[in-house]
Amino acid sequence: MDAKTNMAKGPQPSAGETRQMEGLGLENLIERARGHDGEALEEIYRRYVQRVFGLCRYMLDSREGAEDATSEVFLKLQHTIESYDGSIPFPRWLLRVAGNQCIDALRRRQRGLKVFVEVEDGAAIIEAPSAELSPLGAVISKEERVRVRDTIARLPENYRLPLILRYYSELSYNEIAQQLGLEKNYVAALIFRAKQELRRRLAPRSK
Amino acid sequence: MECYSEQACALFADGELAADEALRMREHMATCRACRHLLDALRAENRVLSESLSELSEETASPVAFSRFRLSWVWRDLAVIAVLLALGSIFSGWFDQLGIPGALEWVNPFSRSGLTNLVFSVSDYFAHGGTAMLNEYAEAVGGFVFLLLLGGSALLLGRRWRLPRAGFGLLMVLLTLSLSSFALDRRHGEFVTVPANETVDDTLMAAGNTVRIEGVINGDLLAFARTVEIRGTVKGDLVSFAKRIMVSGTVEGRIFDFSQSLDLNGQLGHSIYGFTQVLHVNDRAQVGEGILAAAGDFSLEGEVKRSVDILTSGNADVSGTIGRDLTMTGVSLTLSNTARVGGNLSARVHQLKEVRIADGATIAGKRDIQVQVRESRYARPRFYFHQAVWFAAAMLVGWLGLLLFPGFFRATTQAVGSGWLSLGLGVGVLAGAPVAIVVVALTLVGIPISLMVFAVYLVAIYLAKVWVGAFLGRILLKPSGATKGDWLLGLLVGLLILTIVGFIPYLGGLVRFGVVCLGLGAFAGQLYRASRPAVTANSQ
Repeated sequence: MDAKTNMAKGPQPSAGETRQMEGLGLENLIERARGHDGEALEEIYRRYVQRVFGLCRYMLDSREGAEDATSEVFLKLQHTIESYDGSIPFPRWLLRVAGNQCIDALRRRQRGLKVFVEVEDGAAIIEAPSAELSPLGAVISKEERVRVRDTIARLPENYRLPLILRYYSELSYNEIAQQLGLEKNYVAALIFRAKQELRRRLAPRSK
Repeated sequence: MECYSEQACALFADGELAADEALRMREHMATCRACRHLLDALRAENRVLSESLSELSEETASPVAFSRFRLSWVWRDLAVIAVLLALGSIFSGWFDQLGIPGALEWVNPFSRSGLTNLVFSVSDYFAHGGTAMLNEYAEAVGGFVFLLLLGGSALLLGRRWRLPRAGFGLLMVLLTLSLSSFALDRRHGEFVTVPANETVDDTLMAAGNTVRIEGVINGDLLAFARTVEIRGTVKGDLVSFAKRIMVSGTVEGRIFDFSQSLDLNGQLGHSIYGFTQVLHVNDRAQVGEGILAAAGDFSLEGEVKRSVDILTSGNADVSGTIGRDLTMTGVSLTLSNTARVGGNLSARVHQLKEVRIADGATIAGKRDIQVQVRESRYARPRFYFHQAVWFAAAMLVGWLGLLLFPGFFRATTQAVGSGWLSLGLGVGVLAGAPVAIVVVALTLVGIPISLMVFAVYLVAIYLAKVWVGAFLGRILLKPSGATKGDWLLGLLVGLLILTIVGFIPYLGGLVRFGVVCLGLGAFAGQLYRASRPAVTANSQ
């Protein structure tokens, strides 16, 4: 539980072993990591690996692929961190980088196909019947959360990715659009439809 | 005022509505209960999504369940290939009965009698800076290795644009199957015998403790065994990894020999290419062409129609007949009364008294006996010329390497700094790589891989001095910047020092050996770190 909350909040050192790096503030840490300080990189890894791995795990199908992507993100961090300008919080930036890594991995797997093929009417907003909102609004129990998560994991890629980038990485629609190489409108439509699909899938059993 | 659509509300809930639009919606919300409800529900939904997602699943949440330094793709592919092979139909069962430990004991670097001797012979050879023999080797196998290298890099490059996993697996299976489908007869067991009345039409691949051929093999023979005995006839080539090979029958092709000892008693159509500890050509033996070998000890009592090129770390005894030239580099050479050399004799030894040529020995051509006494080398201008060429070549290679693989070369240079770690790793790789190569070569599909690895191994041995030199230069010069120029200048200084130190008797050899180990260790470490797929991610 401890680890989890740390992860979610980001830059707090986890309790436990006392290491020199642990006490360092995030800014300090990043500064040192930029100077190719191995220990600082190690510490960043320690703090964020689970968060990054979580993203990769959600975005990619296999644990193996997620592990690869995760190690790749941290491996490259010693170079990519130079481009971090502090304009957005570091955890979010890191997740953005990780998201890119995953999308690259997905693209590679699909041999150069775009993850999303933009369809003609894709950007058109579908007026959904303003259904009474699903069980989703009510679920809070742990079991239910597990179910939500599993259902999301089983959504088709084009629904799953925007949803995860939005609600796990907490990226804006614009950022998601940029990552996926899509129009912002289309991203909005995808997220909207993804939620509808999610509600549909969750509905039968929870009623 | 008309209510907003659910999508508009969802945008609002996500904070994605344009400012003016958001303002209007907020005004509307103040008056419309239905919309407010909808918005609340949507927000609650978002919250649930965020919470559910951020609470990672058990599997995911297990703290650092994997190591950061996990196996890379390349290694994994190799592992996949190895596993495929192990599982592969062609060798299953065979593996069980192969008894690799027994059959391969001679390559065990930890056994006194085994490969250690060979490795040290080779190290000694490198320490003495000899390359002429290797050039001849390279000519013999260079073309083949080059092709394999091309194929291999194409494969690795292809992996960058990853084949779908399933596709790759399928490809490997097909490859495995297709390889097994070419004419090949496989036999394995404790004793693999082809009796006198049997003729094998295919290439025979035999593995076991003892492989004995009394019959006829129309193709090649690939033998992996403790003892290989040929009493019958092999019409093709003999490729053998064994502790002992005895040929008293006939091999019409060539012998590629990687063994502890090779005894030739019978007839050989073409040449022997050997890497062996003891190479013995008996008085009844006849070699149709030549011998090109690195051997601990060499003795020739029979007849060789063409030239003999031999590198030994021990003695070379010749009492038989050599049709053309005899070229040897080693410790001592003895030509007995019955020895006949149809061409020139050239020998490179350390002391003149180690060359004993009996009065009755016949040498048709010139005798060129060079004593590799270090002092004498410096007197010859050719020596300086060679050193200059050697030096320039190393600089050029360093420069090219830096140009082509800047990151890798620098990182490897850096890795030399890990000192004992690199040295230890290097010794391990130096001794272990040949073993791994042989073990991989045991599998048929593994042969190309093992040759590739061997090529990389040789290249790395050469490059070791470049990396160590660059490192040495760097710590001496401590350049403020890290430009290419600095690196090259460091290399220049470092190589110069290494070259000069290399001339010191005894210590020089030791230093060269240490340099090879250090560089090889740094290379292996760096290769491991860098071999993860370098994807060009535009990570912004």
